[in-house]
Amino acid sequence: MAKKTYDLLFKLLLIGDSGVGKTCVLFRFSDDAFTTTFISTIGIDFKIKTVELRGKKIKLQIWDTAGQERFHTITTSYYRGAMGIMLVYDITTEKSFENIVKWLRNIDEHANEDVEKMILGNKCDMEDKRVVSKERGEAIAREHGVRFMETSAKANINIDKAFSELAEAILEKTSGVSVEPVDRVTVDRRTDRQTIKCC
Amino acid sequence: MSADEALIAEGKNKFTVYCSRCPSKILNSGMGVYTDMTYNLPYMHHKADGDSTNVEDVKGYWQVSDIYTFENLGFSNTVENMKYLICADCEIGPIGWHDLSTKQSYVALSRVKHS
Ligand SMILES: Nc1nc2c(ncn2[C@@H]2O[C@H](COP(=O)(O)OP(=O)(O)O)[C@@H](O)[C@H]2O)c(=O)[nH]1
Ligand SMILES: [Mg+2]
Ligand SMILES: [Zn+2]
Repeated sequence: MAKKTYDLLFKLLLIGDSGVGKTCVLFRFSDDAFTTTFISTIGIDFKIKTVELRGKKIKLQIWDTAGQERFHTITTSYYRGAMGIMLVYDITTEKSFENIVKWLRNIDEHANEDVEKMILGNKCDMEDKRVVSKERGEAIAREHGVRFMETSAKANINIDKAFSELAEAILEKTSGVSVEPVDRVTVDRRTDRQTIKCC
Repeated sequence: MSADEALIAEGKNKFTVYCSRCPSKILNSGMGVYTDMTYNLPYMHHKADGDSTNVEDVKGYWQVSDIYTFENLGFSNTVENMKYLICADCEIGPIGWHDLSTKQSYVALSRVKHS
């Protein structure tokens, strides 16, 4: 075995109704000349990303569903080994928001009980089509004691930040230490500013 | 290929491996083992409407036996017992492939940047 080049490995999952943007959160599908139709057709299974949190080098392995959520067949095997779950809804679709509660129940049933969850209200670039207010998103997150953020996979708003925050929450849990909410990770400043404007 | 020689130190990657298009760091120096194998990879540069079935022989790879050794990397869905490797940030690819039976990953020297 080669020497381990990281301190911790966190396996993260994306979950939520079909169409809310889970695949886009993970896979940009940039439609420029560089993205081959080939790769877009095959699709992506997972990504490995390295982040530095509190001096620790952490590998994030982020998985997308293979579309099982459409048939409500997300079961124990998908959740196996998951330490963090991004629960995604679409701010322009009421139903996807209402189903957050169902997904939370599904997670309770099938996932490891101490899995760290975070709710994402995605597509926040579509302010004109919004039907779920940010306040409602925050309220449901508070009610279930999980973190919340509005994101846009399309405009690349809060995506990296969301994963860093989820990783931070898992780290906090594993080490049992609470940290200051500032200066968590090297977050893209530009994304930060957009946050305030858009979401 | 003699150009590859300059990139190898003691059989491993002398330099850090980056995406050829964006600043994404793929592999730290000394973490990949050079192998001169040849493998058939689909072309990287395609127009969206281009013929996606075109492949070329690509020779020279950094072999990595643990996927968590990579700093940032994307893995495609499985195609005949293998996965294609892409940049985790801009998704350019395939920059190599991952063999599911041996768990080995191979990053093509000619499809990444070394510095
Ligand atoms: N405007 C906007 N559209 C998005 C966003 N994320 C995803 N979409 C679109 O929503 C649709 C479903 O996205 P997809 O990622 O396939 O959803 P999934 O079924 O949850 O994986 C696609 O047409 C995407 O282009 C976003 O942040 N903003
Ligand atoms: Mg999907
Ligand atoms: Zn890239």
